[in-house]
Amino acid sequence: MKETETYSKLGEYIKKGEFVLTGELEPEKTCDLSHTIQEAREMAPYVVAANVTDSPLAIVTINSLAASHIIQRETGLECVWQLTVRDCNKIGLAGQIMGAQALGLHNVLSLTGDHTALGDCPESKPVFDLDSATLIKLVREMVDKGSINGHEIEHPPKLHVGGAANPNADPMEAEILKIGRKAEAGAEFIQTQVVYDIEMTVDFLREVNKYNVPIFLGIFPMKSYGIAKGFDQFVPGVDVPKDILARWKRVKTDVSDKKEQKEIYDQLNYEFFKPFITELKSKGLLAGVHCMAVHYTRIFPKLIEVIKA
Amino acid sequence: MTIITTKKPFEEVLGALKNVNKIGLISCGSCAAMCQTGGTEGAKEMAEKLEKEGFEVVTTMVPEEVCDNRVMMKDLRKIDAELGEIDAILTLSCGLGVASITQVLQRKHPNIPVFIATNTEFMGMTERIGRFYQRCRGCGDCLLNETGGICPITTCAKSLMNGPCGGMVRGKCEVGNYEKDCGWVLIYNRLKELGRLDLFTKLREPVDWSESGHQREVVWR
Repeated sequence: MKETETYSKLGEYIKKGEFVLTGELEPEKTCDLSHTIQEAREMAPYVVAANVTDSPLAIVTINSLAASHIIQRETGLECVWQLTVRDCNKIGLAGQIMGAQALGLHNVLSLTGDHTALGDCPESKPVFDLDSATLIKLVREMVDKGSINGHEIEHPPKLHVGGAANPNADPMEAEILKIGRKAEAGAEFIQTQVVYDIEMTVDFLREVNKYNVPIFLGIFPMKSYGIAKGFDQFVPGVDVPKDILARWKRVKTDVSDKKEQKEIYDQLNYEFFKPFITELKSKGLLAGVHCMAVHYTRIFPKLIEVIKA
Repeated sequence: MTIITTKKPFEEVLGALKNVNKIGLISCGSCAAMCQTGGTEGAKEMAEKLEKEGFEVVTTMVPEEVCDNRVMMKDLRKIDAELGEIDAILTLSCGLGVASITQVLQRKHPNIPVFIATNTEFMGMTERIGRFYQRCRGCGDCLLNETGGICPITTCAKSLMNGPCGGMVRGKCEVGNYEKDCGWVLIYNRLKELGRLDLFTKLREPVDWSESGHQREVVWR
């Protein structure tokens, strides 16, 4: 980001050093966005912006650029458009970045994207012409220099670009050095994978602090025992601590009233994340929190309490 | 170095040989022999299978290297009379063999179609017979001096220049159910071993496809 310029609300928060809460929206395999728009409306009063995913797990969904634009237009909630390098070469990516500006989007999260082999079109060609670091570099060239490969763009885009990181990564040093590359490429913020282990998170944040890039910590409040168990089993490399799983399981087995169950789950999330985030905030290691719990918008009033605590 | 080949399903080979009766078999004596898809044994096995299906194998030849135009010019000259009789050639070699035979035949026998009975897999490293591994993709712009001798184009499932990606879990790759090593973790470990993590921190430019994105040739005389 050029010293004085901001192009979005998220950019303003980063510049002022204000603590950020962002959410996540996951459009599905449908051309009707009404369900996602409803969720956007529900989280809008609490978050600065929301990510809009780009065919996660390489399972085809509605295009994230189109979805981001429509969600932002319909709800006023600022979007962080997720863009993977899996499906387009540099020409396609640069064209989309200009398209994003034309459609009023001003935040982009650069991601590698899950491999095509994992998704529902495994026969399709994996592109990966750029990677997540060189896409950041491309955005910064287009925004700051107004050019692509040195060729001038008549009306350049104005977007803030971020990258992703994984505090659970093993080997950790390789991940830290990779974040250094993203910082060098010009990342203006980093959103992390979901974490549950505070000690590991503190170690990670202390290491990446040297790169001077604001870090938004990924959290995943669990809506139910089923969601917690599924997350633990099916999200590779992220383990939900056993004691949490046990607590969530007890709610399912001991509480029969569904309404009461919901209230207890919400309270348990609050009780877990409040000290977690408060401690990290107090250490000055965080610029914000990115809540990835899709379809769990009722947690946001409690989360904002946590953030403001 | 060996060009690694595997056998096509026989049914697929038969599909290509529709309207063919008399066949000339050309089986490569080097790489395909090593992969047990060609050579003398491969040719014998294929001839028996074809004859069982009612084909007439007019001639069988096992040249030293089918991909070498010079070898093929010499060897095809020896069976010129038989070439006049056959409906098609079936090769047991890599794809280069088909190209080489086609090019050499073009002069005297342009109407003979050349079919292939194998799939060309990759340019491979041989651990022992029956264990061949892709370690180099021949991209034309070798990075090995900067990556501890481990190629990211080959060993990273996404051919990333700045890995590892988020699909790495405990050193394993998301492609193939976390059974294979993440190429970038291999590179990290090797560079660490060599005391050269400075190379790992480098932000690398994307692969330049301007030359390697289309058919390549090396012509120096």
